[in-house]
Amino acid sequence: MAISKKKILRYLLALFIIFSLNFIIPRIMPGDPLTNLLGEEFSLSEAALQELRSELGLDSPLMLQYIKYWKNIFLFDLGYSYHFNQKVIPLITGRMKWTLVLLLPSIIFGAILGTILGALSGWKKNALPNKTITWTFLTIYSSPPYFLGIILLYIFSFKWGLFPFKGFYETGTLSDIIQHLFLPVLIMSAFSASRNYMIMRGSVLIEKEKLYVVYARAKGLYKEAILFRHIFKNAILPVLTLVALDFGFLFSGALFVEIVFSMNGMGTLIYEALLSRDYPVLQGCFLIITLMVIGANLFSDVLNGIIDPRVRERQ
Amino acid sequence: MRRHFFYSTLLVVSLSLIASCGGNRRRGGSESVLKIGTTKDGMKSASILGDSYLAQFAQISNPPLMTMTKEGKIEGIIIKSYEISEDNTIWTFYLDNDLYWSDGTQVSAKDVVFSIQLFAEEVPYARWMREILKKVYEKENNAVVFELYKPYARLDFDFLTYNLLPQHIWGKIEDPLRHTYSGVMIGCGPFYISKIDLNAGFILFQKNPFWKSTQPEIERIELHVYNNKDVLALALEKGEVDTYYRYNSSYPYPNLERLEATGNFNFIEEPHLSLKFLGFNLRKTPMSDLAFREAISYAINYEELIKLDLLGYGEIPSRGFLPRVMPNFTETTPLRFEPDKAKYMITRAGYRDSNGNGIREDLSGNDLELSILIHNEFIRLAELVRDYLRTLDIDVSLKVVDTNTWINLKDAYKYDLVISRTSPWGMLMHANWATGYFDSRRTGEGVLHTVEDPAFMKLCDNILTTKDERELEKYAQKVQDYYAKNLPAIALHWKRIVIPYQKKFSGWSPNLLYGIYNIENFIKLRIIRGESFEGSENSGLAKT
Repeated sequence: MAISKKKILRYLLALFIIFSLNFIIPRIMPGDPLTNLLGEEFSLSEAALQELRSELGLDSPLMLQYIKYWKNIFLFDLGYSYHFNQKVIPLITGRMKWTLVLLLPSIIFGAILGTILGALSGWKKNALPNKTITWTFLTIYSSPPYFLGIILLYIFSFKWGLFPFKGFYETGTLSDIIQHLFLPVLIMSAFSASRNYMIMRGSVLIEKEKLYVVYARAKGLYKEAILFRHIFKNAILPVLTLVALDFGFLFSGALFVEIVFSMNGMGTLIYEALLSRDYPVLQGCFLIITLMVIGANLFSDVLNGIIDPRVRERQ
Repeated sequence: MRRHFFYSTLLVVSLSLIASCGGNRRRGGSESVLKIGTTKDGMKSASILGDSYLAQFAQISNPPLMTMTKEGKIEGIIIKSYEISEDNTIWTFYLDNDLYWSDGTQVSAKDVVFSIQLFAEEVPYARWMREILKKVYEKENNAVVFELYKPYARLDFDFLTYNLLPQHIWGKIEDPLRHTYSGVMIGCGPFYISKIDLNAGFILFQKNPFWKSTQPEIERIELHVYNNKDVLALALEKGEVDTYYRYNSSYPYPNLERLEATGNFNFIEEPHLSLKFLGFNLRKTPMSDLAFREAISYAINYEELIKLDLLGYGEIPSRGFLPRVMPNFTETTPLRFEPDKAKYMITRAGYRDSNGNGIREDLSGNDLELSILIHNEFIRLAELVRDYLRTLDIDVSLKVVDTNTWINLKDAYKYDLVISRTSPWGMLMHANWATGYFDSRRTGEGVLHTVEDPAFMKLCDNILTTKDERELEKYAQKVQDYYAKNLPAIALHWKRIVIPYQKKFSGWSPNLLYGIYNIENFIKLRIIRGESFEGSENSGLAKT
């Protein structure tokens, strides 16, 4: 199961490049981090502005900032955000905690629902229920998350009054949190499921034409057994990679759901940091996302090796 | 069939179970609670010193020294009176002796000295104080003295926005700027903050038990923070909140009719201090040419802008820029849409299409290609203005950027035209009457700093150093005449803002600066109990 040295080196190189881009990109964006700190109505002398710049470390040469950036990464110190008035690590962990509460169930439900329904649909592609499900998932897949969020909120919260309009919680009890998260998780799961469904369906459509399926049939296996015992294992490989990538996508993709349901998660944190050019927060968020995506990819590599003997042999 | 029935039943039961999970969530609607819905805008942390958006909401628990009345006058909120030395270098504020923090401690001059020094030392946007304040100290009779380096007659205006903090609490906090609250924050206003939870999206205020002045009828104020104004509008309609508040904003005009149709709401409809405008980069030609600006002023269809951008809730502005509701407003010539006159004027000013390519040339013979720098809030309005200017045969394009980039380009004068807005405080800042937006010695988010004319700067300096009411009146008129004559920017419309509220409340008294979010309003607010709300205060919407 060991990952080859070459692969590890590749991951380390990817980390180095992404971390460096992470430093460079916010700084080449137009705009000034000082702007939003001072607000609309201020009048400061140039000397006072310079003093502030120096306090924020914005006046030091880029190379020095870059070296400090790497030093801080190794010290697990992501700096301080003057916009959020907080150290970046507790700020991100505070937000990530809630985003994970929103994302993990969505990824899990999305993966289970998408793969099973996708497999069934690929197996019997002309059955009416499968056609209906395909159209439903296609509609979800091609709808903007914001739009779907508003529609569900309108029906379930505004019209029927079943769910609250905003926030992760109100009283903070478990049932209260579940009630607040139900609609957002439903939407995120639906999006995740629709992507997994499409991939799984396509994958099963290809696999079912292969010779080992004919052989299994010839052996006299039941249809369900062929699908779930043989085809499923081979068809799920691309979905596993997709689920790994989902970690990164859903972190930022959660933004729209967070905006509709007024949730303070990672999506809004990145968005606000971007608008105010909050370098430490932007760097911190992208760093965490990078680590999660690379970690999830590593995990999916290992999982691929377990499921697929061909991959294992290559490794 | 049976299987479908089973799954449908299962779905309905699960939904009902989940929905009923938070059944105890909805509080039992106590009648003395006011729930205000607002949007998050820039609110990022629960730090009263570090987050100016939160500080604005905290003004009812930690009031600033001064407030603005409904008529636009500046008066003390936690002070009885104040006086200024003849040379405008020493200000003395006398505190109200009947003022107590919500923990029972009396508010003293020490608290004021402490708060102002804290702002000057810690808060980035208050650093201007370091350059003006020489000394701050307390005096007998619960008074605070501010000694200034130079004559300055606008300190009372500046103190409209800095919250008062209790020294006995904040003096012990090691890093005040970074200090965030989640629980009780001691305040001396009629309410104090009892809880801040931005994850749940609310800030709760309780009545200050030690408030000695007129007692508010409302026991508790709940500020519900939404990330999205469409959802906030739905929540308001559903009755989740009682009213809508955003600084410098009206309830979205397109949603008003729908809200009125519910029959549950009354509306406050008032002219507003802020406005949207077309600004010129006066450092570049042809924008620096008054004749060119004059021509443009006649090419804009103001009536159409009001109809399309404000859905009728506004009026045609004057050349004097300032809206009618601005204290010391002076009548100047109204702006007019006269396309033929605009064409005549621009031709007479020398901008002709001599090569017949459909685009006029500037005075050096180059095609007039201009761009309007905007951020995405103003796209619709900018498209209309672009079309008006195209009728003058000017090649106009839009440059849409995010706010931070907009500020950056604007400060570097890398633009031709901008469309932006003023804010109520912005109209009052610097030397009042919107001078803060134009004086080239200033800078800031929405500040154009394009007017370098010594006469204008002298006018600003004069205003900054006098407290004489008659002189100020004269200067106000001069400022408006200056705008009318020189058109450094063109107001696109003067808006009216509309604030809906549940009919069970009455006695609203919004002020010019913060609208309904002010102490006087929350003290005067009454709850109509056990009777029909139908006839309670007026209500209808009237647009032009």
